[in-house]
Amino acid sequence: MTESFFDRLGEKLTRKMAQGISRRSMIAKAGSAAVVTSSLPLLPVQRAQAAQTQPAAVSDFDRRAQSTDPTKCDYWRHCAIDGVLCGCCGGGVHTCPPGTQPSPVSWIGTCRNPVDNRSYVIAYRDCCGRTLCNSSPDCHCNTEDRELPVYRPQANNDIIWCFGGSSAVYHCSTAALVGQAE
Amino acid sequence: MTGWFRRVSAMVVSVAVSSPVLAADPTPVLQAEQSDVAQLPAMGAHWVFPYTKTTAITIYDGDNGHVLGTIPATPLANNVIMPDRRRIYITETSWSLVDHGDRHDMLQQFDARTLERVRELALPPRALVGRKQQNFDVDANGKFGFIFDLSPASAVTVVDLSAFRVVRTVDIPGCALVFPWQSGGFSSLCGDGSLTNVAVGTDGKASVTHSKPFFSADGDPVYEQSLAERAKGDAYFITYSGKVMKAHLGPQPVIEPAWSIQQAAGQPAAGTGVQELAWRPGGTQPFAMSYYNHHLFALMHTGTYWTHKTAGTEVWELDTQAHRLVRRIDLPTPAKVVAVSQDQKPLLYANGENGNLMVIDLQSGKVLRNTHIDAGAMTVTPP
Repeated sequence: MTESFFDRLGEKLTRKMAQGISRRSMIAKAGSAAVVTSSLPLLPVQRAQAAQTQPAAVSDFDRRAQSTDPTKCDYWRHCAIDGVLCGCCGGGVHTCPPGTQPSPVSWIGTCRNPVDNRSYVIAYRDCCGRTLCNSSPDCHCNTEDRELPVYRPQANNDIIWCFGGSSAVYHCSTAALVGQAE
Repeated sequence: MTGWFRRVSAMVVSVAVSSPVLAADPTPVLQAEQSDVAQLPAMGAHWVFPYTKTTAITIYDGDNGHVLGTIPATPLANNVIMPDRRRIYITETSWSLVDHGDRHDMLQQFDARTLERVRELALPPRALVGRKQQNFDVDANGKFGFIFDLSPASAVTVVDLSAFRVVRTVDIPGCALVFPWQSGGFSSLCGDGSLTNVAVGTDGKASVTHSKPFFSADGDPVYEQSLAERAKGDAYFITYSGKVMKAHLGPQPVIEPAWSIQQAAGQPAAGTGVQELAWRPGGTQPFAMSYYNHHLFALMHTGTYWTHKTAGTEVWELDTQAHRLVRRIDLPTPAKVVAVSQDQKPLLYANGENGNLMVIDLQSGKVLRNTHIDAGAMTVTPP
């Protein structure tokens, strides 16, 4: 990975944010969205999408979602995940399995927690550098709440997000909580 | 063993060994064989190319269900069958040491009769994204191939297929996918609801235009798997809710007013409510078209908005010129992929969620086969 990749990514997204969001609104929303972060740096791709997140009505997925078993596709944070759950592969809901690397960038969903009825921004980060995890078919998910086509890449879950790591080979996907959506 | 038993046994063995010589058996002795390799006949209209497991495209004869051959293809691959049906192109990505090492992005040309890999071309890094035809396509005369790149900046690599060389890479910021024109260019869908249109001259130079927005990427996005009719340079852009917009592609695309799949079937147009139950399109390859009569086949299910990847329980056949429903076809198994042969006695194919390939005769409406083949997220038919 070279610096030019991050430079180009940052420039593109900064420009996109500048075009679409007022500065006051962007600072206020990005501030609240960045309350909780993982140990990884949040790249602009995440901040940009989080800032645009709107409160969501209750979807079919929301109505059926459960909050007890993160190794199932209907776990509430998995409302827009496409791939194999890392919790089925030796990792966890925000943990990559041994020997893999978390992707520096991710796609973003907004999911409703059935316990507190609040919506949260979720970073769907891929774990990379090993071939596809061989887990139970029950762990292969493809949910679609607020999932947009690849021409809106920040909200698309078909992309292999292993950009920028030492290997772009996909292994599994995590669903790290970023913060409460407004 | 007693002496008597030994004598009888020896006699039986002797008779058994000598009897072929004694009997006048007319059956000739089987001859040694030479190992050889099969070749395929000219590609039939009813051949079908589903992606199977995570390793291959398996070629089936839709008329009898026989496997005809295999083309290697990982989940990252895309393929195009050329209009002459003599060449098959695969775009593929691999690493020198399986999960690490040097990355190789390649365009591979296969001979459609021998299935031999004829030549390979190194490409700039392709988009690593769920399979769909719109990641890689060619123009109608087969001069140019267009390959979608995402690094994550968006671009398209233009390949001269005759010279078999990369002509150039064209940046398409904020846009994605390729919808080929009749010749000399392609259009891409953009996040602001517009099209970016790229003309590629015979000298390889590219010129880019932008259309006005004609859909809302936030409100009701156009499916990535919208259809392109190469021979005419037309596209059929279809939104998550089921609105169809025909477009004639070029430097200045002409986009016709939207019509609703549901209204064509005598139902209210579906909206975008997350609690609004309606018949809706869905799947990983939710649309196909018979280009001889321009009938659209859409995988449909009952659901709310945000069910755009949900498997269809029916295929709706729609006349895109009259904007009316022709018929609804019940599927034996919910399906995520629909495809159709391009002859005038068409077969409909559907990849079931359970890995089955369903083959339906559209003249009789009969399900010819429903067989487990580990069918995946995409199926291609000969043009």
